Amino acid sequence: MTRLASMTRRLILTVLFLELLSAVALVLAITIHERHTQLAAFDAQLQGTAQSLMGAVQDAEDESDSVILEPRGLNLDKHAVFQVDEAGRVLGAAGVLPAEIKPVQEPTIRQARVGKKLYRFYSFQGLRIIDPGKPDGGVRHTVSIAYGLPVEHIWHEIAEATRFFVIATIALLGMTAVIMTWRIRKGLQPIRELAQEAEQISATNWNFNAPISARNTQELQPLAAALESAMNRLQRSFEQQRRFTSDAAHELKTDVAIIKSSLQLLSMKKRTVEEYSQGLGASFEDLARLETTVQRMLTLARLEQPTEASSGSCLLRNVVEDAAYQSKAFAEIKDIAVTTQLATNSFVPIDSRDALLLCSNLIVNAIQHSDEHSIVIITLKAQEDNVHFIVEDEGEGIAEEDLAHIFHPFYRGDPSRSRKKGGTGLGLSICKAICDRANGSIAISNRPSGGARVLVVLPLFHPSPLPVSASIKH
Amino acid sequence: MRILLVEDELRLAENIAAALREVGFAVDHAADGENGSHFAEQNVYDAIVLDLMLPAKSGQRVLQDLRRKKLHSPVMILTAQEGKESIIDLLNAGADDYLSKPFDLGELIARIKALIRRSKGVATPILKISDIELNAVHQTVHRQGNAIDLSPTEYRILEYLIHRPRAIVSKQELLEHLYDFDWEHHSNVIEAHVSNLRRKLNLAGTEPLIETLRHRGYRLRQGEDAG
Repeated sequence: MTRLASMTRRLILTVLFLELLSAVALVLAITIHERHTQLAAFDAQLQGTAQSLMGAVQDAEDESDSVILEPRGLNLDKHAVFQVDEAGRVLGAAGVLPAEIKPVQEPTIRQARVGKKLYRFYSFQGLRIIDPGKPDGGVRHTVSIAYGLPVEHIWHEIAEATRFFVIATIALLGMTAVIMTWRIRKGLQPIRELAQEAEQISATNWNFNAPISARNTQELQPLAAALESAMNRLQRSFEQQRRFTSDAAHELKTDVAIIKSSLQLLSMKKRTVEEYSQGLGASFEDLARLETTVQRMLTLARLEQPTEASSGSCLLRNVVEDAAYQSKAFAEIKDIAVTTQLATNSFVPIDSRDALLLCSNLIVNAIQHSDEHSIVIITLKAQEDNVHFIVEDEGEGIAEEDLAHIFHPFYRGDPSRSRKKGGTGLGLSICKAICDRANGSIAISNRPSGGARVLVVLPLFHPSPLPVSASIKH
Repeated sequence: MRILLVEDELRLAENIAAALREVGFAVDHAADGENGSHFAEQNVYDAIVLDLMLPAKSGQRVLQDLRRKKLHSPVMILTAQEGKESIIDLLNAGADDYLSKPFDLGELIARIKALIRRSKGVATPILKISDIELNAVHQTVHRQGNAIDLSPTEYRILEYLIHRPRAIVSKQELLEHLYDFDWEHHSNVIEAHVSNLRRKLNLAGTEPLIETLRHRGYRLRQGEDAG
């Protein structure tokens, strides 16, 4: 099982890591600084003591005006190693001076081992003038001094200081970790609240109101808004689906009820052969209607599937002519004149089967809703990059309140879904699905002179669409 | 018995009406809610079969108007809608029973018969009065154990009278409940059927079961052992 990635953990670890890095750098800097100060102080001390040794070089009060070291009165460290000499003559010493420490002109600080201990030596040459008040300017003595002290305790002190800082840093790190965890948890609370709210969503409860905490958080606001709008869209399409299912069930049940009752009526008692054949005929008719309903539902379902890249094309003019020809017989029954004005030879991106379905649905619809002896006008024309297919009738038109729902499946503008005018209530939905699939549009309006006007706008078919653009269409 | 069928689906209405007529009901058909309401308000129906999805006026509203006008004919709802809520609402609004489409015609008929029986205060399909026993399921009549052969109309007259013991039933009422609008009816047709019925039911040496009250109608006489 893989462990879930935790944003909190990642944040805290990142911050702690950075803190640790800076702490290490800080401790390093402090150590270097400490060493520097300690050594500077140590060197100053060496220097001071060495200078006082120089001060302790005194006139020997003898004839030769020689000098001696008078170390009494000097507070010298008991571990100190030093040597004071004048031109090879040792005036005074303590311990054994390591060989590499030689009196030099320039004051130098060097480290050397005395026995096993590391010492730091300050060595310099100084001029000691005896009796400077004399007329000859006194006697000059060049005195070399090397003075060393064990350096070990400095390192000890530096280590002490470093340890203190390390401990303090670790304590601080721990504290920040705790505080940070708490703050981040608190800071992420809106996410949890958002999740809780989202948790409530189900097929029956689509209410999603992003909590105020999420709405007021800059980072969460886009997410909350996206969730809200996604929920709304889902709810709408879910509602639509549910309505479709319930309408479809109603439709199918009614059809089945008719067939069932026809057959049961027939089987209620013994009947004559004639009655039986009549009853069977009626049952077949009922069955045909059920078949039509199912067929149309399947067509609609097929059309609402995501489009295949290549869905074919057709010459719309031919299709419209076919559809008009096929509906001729029906139009003649009602003595309706179907006139066509087909002014374009454009191809549209719909395969001919669907195009015929679209055209004949609209034409038959127009005839169905027309009064006897009226005219249905079919127009086909090119307009910019589109083809306009228009069907106009002189019927009763469409009620204002129905215009908004007219393309909904099973909508008949009547709560009872009366079938007197025939049809399944799916025709216009199928037309819309065909238009949508081809990236076209369909709209119905009422003509000022009475009757309905259906306008279908379809894009022109481009014979060789680039395969890339075809796949992007999804 | 006369039944009102309110159903807009013509093929279904045809079938239901035909089936109900075959088992001896008189049936009137209304194809929309508006007409259904008008028909029902005449108060001559022993039961009403009501579809819910109707043009002009919904089945719910037809039912509500009916009950508001204190018309108590039993109402059988036909529905193709899903969901129990609407059924609860309907039963609360005064419906007596319901069937979901697609339903069984035989069940519909049996339920309608049961509704009519109950609305007339009878619990079983076997009706007894005096020494007459009428089986509403098999549509047979026995008197003192002997089967009596009746024509369909005679049977229906007897069934109606048994449902209304001791009450005086006018010729007009009999006409209204036995025939639908399609029937060309005359009161002397009733007289002929009643006199035939009386003759067939009569046993030697007993009082005639069906009394005729001049200008008022008929009454079924009830014996001491009536139930």
